Amino acid sequence: MEKRRNSRNAKRPAARRIAAPARRRGAVPARKLLKKTMEIPLQETQVAEAKYYTGPAPSHQRPTPTPIEQRQLPQGYDEDVLVAQARDPWWTHIYWDLRFKTWDDCRARYGGDFEKSSWALRAYDISFIKFDGKNAHRFFDTPVDVTARNWYMNLGSPGTSWCLDLGFVLPRGRFVTVVRSNVVSLPLDGPSWMTDEEWMIPDDAFRRLYGMSVGLGPNVSSPVGKLWQERLKRDVSSGAVTSLVSSPVGKKAEKLPFWLVVDAELIVYGATEPDAAVSVQGRPIQLRKDGTFTLRFALPDGKQEIPVVARSAKINETRTITPVVTRHTTRNP
Amino acid sequence: MFKGYLCMVLHGHLPYVRHPEHEDFLEEDWLYEAITETYLPVIALFERLSDEKVPWRMTMSLTPTLAAMLIDGLLQDRYARHIGKLVELAHKEVERTRWLPAFQRLAVMYLNLFTQARDLFERYHRNLVAAFKRFQDAGSLEIITCGATHGYFPLMDVCRESVRAQVRVAADHYARLFGRPPTGIWLPECGYQPGDDVILKEAGFKYFFVDAHGVLHATPRPKYGVFAPVYCKSGVACFGRDMESSKQVWSSVEGYPGDYYYREFYRDVGFDLDFEYVRPYVHPDGIRINTGIKYYRITGESNYKEPYDPDAAREKAAVHAGNFMFNREKQVEYLYDMLDRRPIIVSPYDAELFGHWWFEGPMWLEFLIRKIAYDQKTLRMVTAPEYLAENPKNQVVTPSLSSWGWKGYSEVWLQGSNDWIYRHLHKASRLMTELARRYPAVDGLKRRALNQALRELLLAQSSDWAFIMATGTHVAYAQKRTREHLLRFFRLAEEVQGDHIDEDFLREVESRDNIFADIDYRVHQ
Repeated sequence: MEKRRNSRNAKRPAARRIAAPARRRGAVPARKLLKKTMEIPLQETQVAEAKYYTGPAPSHQRPTPTPIEQRQLPQGYDEDVLVAQARDPWWTHIYWDLRFKTWDDCRARYGGDFEKSSWALRAYDISFIKFDGKNAHRFFDTPVDVTARNWYMNLGSPGTSWCLDLGFVLPRGRFVTVVRSNVVSLPLDGPSWMTDEEWMIPDDAFRRLYGMSVGLGPNVSSPVGKLWQERLKRDVSSGAVTSLVSSPVGKKAEKLPFWLVVDAELIVYGATEPDAAVSVQGRPIQLRKDGTFTLRFALPDGKQEIPVVARSAKINETRTITPVVTRHTTRNP
Repeated sequence: MFKGYLCMVLHGHLPYVRHPEHEDFLEEDWLYEAITETYLPVIALFERLSDEKVPWRMTMSLTPTLAAMLIDGLLQDRYARHIGKLVELAHKEVERTRWLPAFQRLAVMYLNLFTQARDLFERYHRNLVAAFKRFQDAGSLEIITCGATHGYFPLMDVCRESVRAQVRVAADHYARLFGRPPTGIWLPECGYQPGDDVILKEAGFKYFFVDAHGVLHATPRPKYGVFAPVYCKSGVACFGRDMESSKQVWSSVEGYPGDYYYREFYRDVGFDLDFEYVRPYVHPDGIRINTGIKYYRITGESNYKEPYDPDAAREKAAVHAGNFMFNREKQVEYLYDMLDRRPIIVSPYDAELFGHWWFEGPMWLEFLIRKIAYDQKTLRMVTAPEYLAENPKNQVVTPSLSSWGWKGYSEVWLQGSNDWIYRHLHKASRLMTELARRYPAVDGLKRRALNQALRELLLAQSSDWAFIMATGTHVAYAQKRTREHLLRFFRLAEEVQGDHIDEDFLREVESRDNIFADIDYRVHQ
């Protein structure tokens, strides 16, 4: 099957260092990202979350079961490791760990230069090639705090593949690789530019189909990756700002600064011979073994007459007692 | 005229929550609520359709963790106790609301629902997997599986041995439960990483589902968008989700479940009534929880709520089912003219959306199925294997990395609150691979320890924990589950390697984390 490719796929020149990270690119230490946590808009996950929902968070700490294991997970496992995972078409999360011995070796080998050097992540663009350490299309460095042990980095190009090195830059500018990552491939953020001869579709027909496919209707004129992002953003912003008022789906109760709820119930209780037949408001009720009974009613505003009638099982005798209860509720304000 | 297909998929999943060490464990309620509100009502509607010989086709994933809980004796007993108490509470409610007729009819409705649930549960001898199997054996329901513990595959790409274990354990588990090998799989969180199809192929799977952009952003361009399946190079078929139909049900802004006449999920007598009164029906530690008795309708945007009106809600569900069908007909007619083949509309939903979150969901589904059967001729319900049998020639592409999570990729499971778990999970995966390689054939205690180690690793991998850490109200529990399974794994691994297995410890964790009795650690390769 022949594929038509456009020039974006053409061979690229051998590795060259590129200028300081472009505007679109960025890197954020994971710790900082944590602080300004991107809150997932309520309405996006509310439904999925509902299946884990047992009610508003309890106000006091629940007793936790005694774990079989009292130990905590270690910080690390004393190994040289650098792992990069795609978070989305642009961003990758990178975590690393270095053996104590690796530190010692570097120190022994580079001495004072090592102490004066700064750590960096070097990202190699290795899209569509087998990386041999030298043939990357391009690479760029991002200074990192090695003790952070993880980092979010914006690689900025959907559909590309990357390999990263964690290393240090010696005072004279040489980069020393300490550990190399796996290959991380970023997904496309829009339709592929590759088409398929056997399954060809004209561009405008594909655009219409794409619009249909993402639920934007058939009259979409531009590649929809962008529109889709806009739709997401719209949902996200309305979610962040006004999710409580804009989302009609059974939302969690609005927290008011102050509030009061009052309701009233009525308990009617009594006792008679255990074998007597008792009815309350004309309906028979069950007695306890000792002849006592308790009834509980939600009490609305108004007057309730509650005739309790007991008929003896042994002699022809009936007793009736009728509590009359009135509830009247006022509010201020 | 017949112009296209509708493939409805319900994804049934809950993480494995089973705590024999506690008499009453809050998170087990996830299962009990889903049984009462989703699984039993769905089984009841399948029964009605089958009894009345209404033609229907549905696809449902029962994840291995969910299926394992549904056949677990301890959890079955606990559910029986749970539903028994709900029946008792409903009886009291009928009495308590005597002077409030609008509420009393609802109390009676709940009493009926709960007693019917209890009867149905007992009628299937407490085994709901057998209930679902019945409809698969009858040819109406296509049951598919999922990753063994719903581990999110794209974040296991650096240790694919774990993806393989998730897939192989699930396939074995399915074959044992349903008496035939599985053909389809719901990827956990719809998370697809290019190349995972090869692992699916090895385990005998014929098809899986991805979110819309998984197909739309495939390479090369898919000629039919999401309206026809594609084949991966491995030969496994991939179906893309239709966003339009998802949005109608799913979207909290435009979706049906937000209708003001539908039942309000967040008002429950467990919170609304006097504490002493509800005490026997909430958590024994004195924590108020949802009981399932909810008296109000959504009503509007303020906190003011009116009592639920079941008749009005039922009418709404019928209207919404008609609207959904009408829109699918229009969609299919348009696509039929535009494409040179009959389109397939794939509409997957979380099963727990139906009944639990959207109380009227099962009712809506039943109206929809009946209307499709009798009120139109454009659409036909289909399962993936039926569609492939009728339409075997499809385009070959590589789908794109994608998920159905927020923003469409991995961010829900990889962000500040949960990114710390991966260094531990990956380390455990590497170690498990090493152990499987180092001990290709062992017996006795060592084999048991290795099998248990794999159970612990799989349980730690459930995507639910990362999801809850990012969004939920049970964060401490999710962290604890991740930590404890990993610690148990590392301890077992250490003991196997050091040749000093503590049998008491092993027995204890075997009895607690008892999922997948027939697991074989060697699948982690």
